[in-house]
Amino acid sequence: MPETLKFHFTPADPPRPDEANPHAKESTQVADVIDQLRDAFGEAIGEQVVYAGEHTVFVDKARLLEIAQHLKAELGFVYFVDCGGVDRFTDEDRFEVFYNLVNVADRKRLRLKVRVDEDDLHVPSVVSVWKAADWNEREVYDMMGLIFDGHPDLRRMYMPEDFDYFPQRKEFPLLGIPGSLPLPPQTPRGPLTMDPYAAAHGSKPVKSYEEPKSEEEE
Amino acid sequence: MAFDMKEGYLTTTVDAVLNWARSNSLMPMPMGLACCAIEMMAFAGPKYDVARFGSEAMRFSPRQADLMLVAGWCSFKMAHTIRRVWDQMPDPKWCVAMGACASTGGMHRCYGVVQGIDNFLPVDVYISGCPPRPEAVLHALMDIQEKIRNEYSVVDDYEFGQEQPVPTTQNNALLLPEGETIITPNVLENQ
Ligand code: SF4
Repeated sequence: MPETLKFHFTPADPPRPDEANPHAKESTQVADVIDQLRDAFGEAIGEQVVYAGEHTVFVDKARLLEIAQHLKAELGFVYFVDCGGVDRFTDEDRFEVFYNLVNVADRKRLRLKVRVDEDDLHVPSVVSVWKAADWNEREVYDMMGLIFDGHPDLRRMYMPEDFDYFPQRKEFPLLGIPGSLPLPPQTPRGPLTMDPYAAAHGSKPVKSYEEPKSEEEE
Repeated sequence: MAFDMKEGYLTTTVDAVLNWARSNSLMPMPMGLACCAIEMMAFAGPKYDVARFGSEAMRFSPRQADLMLVAGWCSFKMAHTIRRVWDQMPDPKWCVAMGACASTGGMHRCYGVVQGIDNFLPVDVYISGCPPRPEAVLHALMDIQEKIRNEYSVVDDYEFGQEQPVPTTQNNALLLPEGETIITPNVLENQ
């Protein structure tokens, strides 16, 4: 058989650290990082969960910013992958915000979680630590109504600015609240209700950040 | 020119000539909003070749288009833009709702997606499918052509340059169940 026609099978995968999750990687087993955090912050580091070979740690909302700074500066978690909100629809600690972080140099992945009670929807913003958190936090604010203290520009991300509800909360009806989002008129001569090209008529949206200078400007 | 009666001749109406010309040179405005737009590209490409029907010239300016192909799901925010684009298209114009989403909201049964673009646009042809095959889009185009060929275009709408009133359909009220009112274009406009 000519060489080109031979089948080349992918070699069998080496045994995984966790049988429960065949896709688990070494990089998600970060008990050592959590121990280091516990040494530095003590009580502020809460429960530690292992699920499907991945470590998650709950931290105290009040000290989130310090922990974030420590994670980036001391423990090398420079890459902010993602953050999002969860509505658990429980009486206590109804909301949850998770942060997925990566230490690129040491190949480690950590999931950080904070719980937020419905009576106090404030969470410290981590934009000052990881700039990438900007739009993610805006999205969580838009969908869940959590308020990120210290966020440079906490506006809605997807829904119109004047929308009154937070659509990803569990009590929000799936099909929305009739009349809460304007539609164009249904007749040919009806007036247009919302101007989609506001910028063309002199209304400029506020810039959310200073754009980086071009090379000539510098 | 000397006219030789032996050569024969053909009579027609202005409408027939006009409609023939219009229906074979539709200029689609590709309002591609989501995945359906990919099938719309296939419909315009060489394999399905919409040039056979005279509609190969996609116009990205609404002012040069007379057929709007709304392909994909339409969010409430986008609806206002689509309506603006539609208003900028010169009359006469036609609209195709391509795919389940544009027709009914489809699987996007949620707060952010308009449940059918006929909530704010006068749709002429709906195409089912998710996404519809390019043949189905061709079929919709042929339906539009059929519709155009059966239209009274010039003589009926205007008389001595004056717009004719929209005909009311009050007689049909006899067929309605008791207590219900019929919806005519006039009723909607006076709301
Ligand atoms: S009908 Fe299907 S293919 Fe078309 S926009 Fe909707 S989801 Fe996409």
